[in-house]
Parts: sequence; structure tokens; C-alpha cells
Amino acid sequence: MPTTADGLVLDLSKIVGHALPNGLRLRVLPDRTAPTVSYYTFFQVGSRNERIGATGISHLFEHMMFNGAERYGPKEFDRVLESRGGSSNAYTSNDLTVYYDDFAPEALATVVDLESDRMRSLRITPETLEQEREVVKEERRLRTENSVFGLMEEQLESLVFQAHPYRWPVIGWREDIERIDAEDCRAFFRTYYAPGNAVIYAVGDLDADATLALLEEAYAGIPAGPPPPPVARGEPPQRGERRATVRYPAQAPALLVGWRGPAARSPDAPALDVLQACLAVGESSRLRRRLVREAEVAVSVHVSWGWRIDPGVFYAFMELAPGVTPERAGALLQEEIARVAARGPSPSEVRRARRLLRSAVLHELATHGGVAHALGQAEALRGDYGEATRVLEHYAAVTPGDLRRVAAEYLDPSQRCTVALDPEGAR
Amino acid sequence: MTIALPPIVEERLGNGATVAVARRPGIPLAAVRLVVRAGSALDPRGRSGLAHLVAEAARRGTRRRSGERIDEQIESLGAELGAGCDEDATYFGLSAPAEHLAQLLDVVLDLVIHPTFPAAEVTRLRRREIAALEHDLDEPGVLADRAMLEAAYGAHPYGHPVEGLQRHVGRIRRADAQGFHARWYGPAGTLLVIVGAVDPGEALALARRRLGSWRASSEEPPALPAPAPVRRSVLIVDRPDLTQSQVRIASRGIPRSGPEYFPAVVASSIFGGGFTSRLVEEIRVNRGLSYGVRSRFAMSREAGFFFVSTFTKVETTAEVVEVALGESARFCEEGPTAEELQRGQSYLAGLYPLSLETHDQVAERICDARLYGFGLDEVTGYRERVREVSAEACRDVARRYFPREDRVVVAVGPASRIARALERFGPVTVVPARRVL
Repeated sequence: MPTTADGLVLDLSKIVGHALPNGLRLRVLPDRTAPTVSYYTFFQVGSRNERIGATGISHLFEHMMFNGAERYGPKEFDRVLESRGGSSNAYTSNDLTVYYDDFAPEALATVVDLESDRMRSLRITPETLEQEREVVKEERRLRTENSVFGLMEEQLESLVFQAHPYRWPVIGWREDIERIDAEDCRAFFRTYYAPGNAVIYAVGDLDADATLALLEEAYAGIPAGPPPPPVARGEPPQRGERRATVRYPAQAPALLVGWRGPAARSPDAPALDVLQACLAVGESSRLRRRLVREAEVAVSVHVSWGWRIDPGVFYAFMELAPGVTPERAGALLQEEIARVAARGPSPSEVRRARRLLRSAVLHELATHGGVAHALGQAEALRGDYGEATRVLEHYAAVTPGDLRRVAAEYLDPSQRCTVALDPEGAR
Repeated sequence: MTIALPPIVEERLGNGATVAVARRPGIPLAAVRLVVRAGSALDPRGRSGLAHLVAEAARRGTRRRSGERIDEQIESLGAELGAGCDEDATYFGLSAPAEHLAQLLDVVLDLVIHPTFPAAEVTRLRRREIAALEHDLDEPGVLADRAMLEAAYGAHPYGHPVEGLQRHVGRIRRADAQGFHARWYGPAGTLLVIVGAVDPGEALALARRRLGSWRASSEEPPALPAPAPVRRSVLIVDRPDLTQSQVRIASRGIPRSGPEYFPAVVASSIFGGGFTSRLVEEIRVNRGLSYGVRSRFAMSREAGFFFVSTFTKVETTAEVVEVALGESARFCEEGPTAEELQRGQSYLAGLYPLSLETHDQVAERICDARLYGFGLDEVTGYRERVREVSAEACRDVARRYFPREDRVVVAVGPASRIARALERFGPVTVVPARRVL
């Protein structure tokens, strides 16, 4: 990965790029430490942009992007890319749809050709839609309907959000997946896959100026699209704890507890990263020590805080030990959080968390794909790709007092949402 | 087209341990990986899961440090220690800011060389392992993988999951952990690899001091027998509530080091790697039967097996098996087309450098080379070796190992709804999910 003179983090001054007249933003970062290139296309669309009746369209549409465009027909995208020494995949989140290609440097021109072809002229047919609908239903069966965590997570989001589109799952409700038709997909493509809604990152063993010229030539002719409609982002205040129970023929109990956090652009977002690391990263983290090692109420505890454009979810997931009730585990969890909110973590705990986070950031920046991903996420969620490395400064500035404050403000028991798994019937 | 590896400074210490250090440009981290040649294949009869528990318990205390002290020392320097095993070896690894290398190495070697296995900690870990296995009952994919291992290897030492069977883990005592460590952990054959922003001379001197003083005589792991042949059969792990079946098909395979490695990798990739493989094409693209399907040679030091892995809605369980076996038969008959071979080779050759981007990946590759006994020229010459594989070699390796007559079909799903349809693939055995726990 690229390093600065002091050998520490990414040298962002090497990024070249600008926006084309059609609105498409281009970012190129040369780095020759490994003979690979990662090419990321970020579309600012996810389940957040959907409406009831067509939930899951962002994700279903992601599948459609691999099914042929004007010049490269059905099945050709992956075939051409693989035959040139590359691979491709994509993911959809609440906020974004991201396509990424990793490949040998010789394949760059081919990748630009493939990617610009599908952004310009994707072909959407009822046949490919039916095929992908079945695949997505299998994906939903895998990740949600036959998964304890998937079922619980779906419930949690519906509890934390009552109005905001974050209340439905990214993969969508099953009935909506079945209902979406080709015309919905075409309208979706016109609106959300217009160049003004996208950013391209090319990172790796490439020449910056030549790559930029290549990108301009390939993408400049794609016409600009209409601005996407605004998102209904309102959310009423929460006036007390919300609870749900998932009854499922599982073997072992589990508990998922969540709270609504701040938006990614809030200065509190990095502080919650540090809090998350204090609570559950590493064996010496608070919750692992207390809940897994000492009280032995949980087999595992995982805390997640994912930045989103609008206020997102901070949650703790625990696989419980046999015979432990969700009530008991939940009470111990809240006790630990209350302790942090009242007295805060010690300076050494905060130092430990900051160092772990710094290592995690450096690890992500160790690969071309990681760099492209981090830059694109930072631009989409914080409005500036420079935040990909500036986040280390934010972490370094977080104090125990900040953690006390954010724990008290966001993780209050009256703002809690709890999903308990009730295992019905042993096998 | 050769792949560049950083210069590796390697030294065999007087006590039989090997140290390898490589300085790499890039991020200011150092990856440390220590390999002890003792894995779950050495689990005593009736004590599966012991090697895994020893790896986890080693960090719970030494003569000089409590388990909590170990956790705090490592994590306060920005590192997380990974400890675990596979069937062939036990691994201790971490990656951290390079300036803390000396302190971290001190802790890691302390817990590898001098663990005390405090009784209370062993008991607690055992309880946690048993409880964690209980949660595996709720993971259909995990159940399928566990069942496949046993179905592919039978009573062979590779034939049980590294985490062990629940009823075995419950029997493990502190003395078992101490005994395993005393018998199998020693400097002879142990390998320490350090890769990253380090000075090789300094790192080597450090390793000599810390690792070179280890005096313990461990046993050499015994050679393993060849696994019994896989027989045509069907194993159903009953989960009455599922709406989607997890499916595996396993057949005989090869160990990691051997002349068939490259043909096997290329053939398997064309058949079931990537997004344009035969299996993806037929199962996902043409029929929408699954979200994912792949095939792979699982290769260990002394044996291996070949497998297909997928999942589909309960109603199409037999269909997905039928299609996979049909594709296998077709591949064995025809081999890959010239276009498929070219695409498969370019795919593997183009993506290989992605598996060597980080310090950790390079350290892991050096460890694997030493553990499995392949030369690093296999890494640097990977692309040429892949390009040399012919269509005939792919077809031949498929004929020897891809599932045809002698293979086992494993399905995790509702037996009452899938057993009848699976009978056509061989004699059916139905077991409750707890049986593979």
C-alpha cells in the first residue's frame, strides 16, 4: 500500500481525479507495491432509497448488473473479466451499492470497457429478472430465514426504526422480492445508476494520467440523469424500551440489543467506534471479560457499530450459555454499559482501544481493494475521502470523558431495543 | 510473469526450531506466525478437540503471566492474538505495529513454551467450547461441513472437526492438555515466521534469544494411514424445520504436496471456482437453484478429499445433486474446452498476487511451504505452473477424483421431505443433528 514519508498512512496527495460534466466522479491512486488493481464503483443507493412495496430492489438490481449490456451480452461480464485475470463482485447496504473488480494490471482497459458498458446500457429482460429473483430468494433463505442471527437482525431493525427506510432489511421482504418487475428495474436504473450518483475508485499498479484519460473517454458520453428523489428520513422519538421475541426451533438462546446512534457525519461516530472496541474487541475488552469469562452468561459477544448516512444502529449480539435467560444476560449488559456511562473506561482501556482501531485501519489500507473501499466509504458516508485516514486523528482525540458522554447519550436503557430468541422445541 | 517474494532470511536454530524473516515495504506492521507441528489429527481417541483446546488454553496463563495479563499486554499494543489449529498444526499469530515486535514475541513465545493450563481456566474453556458447539446446531452450513468431514474420512485421524465432538470435549481434563503439550510441543520442527517492516538481522537475533533457549523434547508426529475409500452413500442430517437444505458431495482427493497439485487446482477452478464455473453456470445461472455453489480440493499434509458445496430450497435438494453429479460426469468425459482452460488459467494467474498482498498472507504462505513441504518456487513460479496444465491433465485429474461412483452425498435438511428423493444416490443413513455435534 502507499505510504507517506513518515511511513505511516496513505498519501492522499497522490490521488488524481475530478468530476465529469455528467456528474460522475473519478478518483485514481497509483501504487505499485503489488501487481494488482482494484476498481470500485460506488452508487449512492441502497435500501434507504426504497419504498414499501419494492423493498429489496437495490439488492435485486445489483444481481441484474451482471446479466449483460449493449456490447457485452448475457454471461459475458464475468467470462471476459476472468479470462483477463480478474474477478468481480458487489454488495448492497442500507446506503450504497458497490461493485468491485480485482485484476492483473493488463486487464485495466477491459475492465473500464466492461464497467462503462453496463453503466451506459444495461439490458434488463424479464427472463434474467426471473432467474435472479430465484437466486435472491435462495440468498434470503440462507442469510435470513434459516439463520438465527438473520431472523433476529431483521426484527431489531424493525424495532429501532418506525418510519425511516432502515426499518426494512436490505435484501427486502419476500413478497416485495416476488413483486418487483422489469419496469421497476428500468426506472430504478435510470434514476440511481445515472453517472451523477456514482464515484469510481481505481487503486493499484497503474499510471494515474493514462487511467484518468481512459476513464474520461469511456464514461464522458453517458448522459446525466435526473437527481434521485429525496429520502423520507424522519423518525419519531423513542419513548421507552421496545422488545420483540423471535420464536424459532433453535437449540440455544441468543440476545440482540440495539440503540439508535448518530449519523456517520456526526463527530460522535468515531467516538462510538472507540467505545465499541472498549466493549468487545479483544479478550480483555469489557464485555468479553465480564459476560463471557467471569459471569459465563454468553459464549460470544459481538458489538457492531456501522456508520450510515442517517442515524444507524449500535448493537450487541450475544450467543448465550445453555440455561441462561435473555433477561439475565440483558441486565448484565446494561449494568456494564451503565458503568461506562457513569465512570467511563480507564485511560488505559481507551489507549488500548485506539491502538486496536489504528491496527485495524492499517490492515484495511494494506491492500488495494481495502484502500479503494475505505476511500469510497469515507466519501459516501462522511463526504470526503480524506476521512479514510483522518479517522485516525479522530480516534486519537477521543477521551474517556467522550466515551462516558456517548454511552450515556446513545445507550440509555429507555432507548434500548431488545430482541430475544426463544428456542422452541429441542431436536 | 514470476511472482516476487521479499528476500527471506532463514535459520535453523540449535534446538531444531526454524526462523524465517522477510522485510517488506508497505504498512508499518509486522506479522508474526508460529507453527507447532501438532494438529487435531493427534487428538487421542475419545478426546477430539484436545489440540484445539490446548491452543486456546495456552494463552490462559504461564509461569510468569496470568491469562488476563497476556490479553492485556498483547491488546494494549494494538494486536489481537489468534490461536487455533487445523488437522496438521497449531498456529499462533498476530500482526501489530512493528515497533512492538520484541514485546509481543516475548509474550507469544512465553505462552507457547511455558503454559501452565490453570485448572479453573481449563474448566471454563471446556464449558465455553461445549456451549459454543450447542450454537453450531443452529448453523446448517456448519453441521454440513462437520458431517462431510466424517463422511469423507471415516475413522481416519482427519475424520473429526478440530473443535471436537461435544461428548469428547466434555471428557477433556487439565492433565490431557498438559500431556498433549508435553508430548507434542517442542522446538524441533517448530517454525517462526516474521514478515513486515522489520530489520531481518534484528528480528533474527531476537528470535534466536527468545526461541533458541527452548529445551524440550517433543515427539515427531507419526505418519498417518491412507484413508479408507469413500463409498457410494447418502448421509442426511435431520433438521425438520429448515426450508433450505445444505448439500455437500465428497469424493477421494490428494494431499497438499504432490505432482497433481496444479492440475487439481486448475480443474477444480474450471469446474467449481469463480463466477463462470460449470457448476455456477448450471446451478445458479441456468436454473436459479442456488445463490452459491463451489468445488474444491481440501488438501492436508497426508491426505485430502474433493468436495462440492451448495444449498437449495428443500424442494430441489435432489435436483441440485443430480445436476452437480451430471456436470461432474460430463467434465470427466470431455474435460475443459480450450476457452475454459485459457479463462481458468488467466483467472488463477491474474488473481494470485491478491493472495500475497499483506504481510500476514506472505507469512502464511511461507509457513505452509515449510509445513507441507513444497518449495517457494511453487509460489514464485505459480503462473507458469498454472499455464503448463493441459486440458488432458484436467480431465485425468477429474477422472481420478471428481465424484462419480464412489462419493458420499451429505444433506442437512428435513429428512422426511428429502430422504426418498435422495435414495437414487445410494443407501441413505439419517442421523439427528446432535449426532454430528
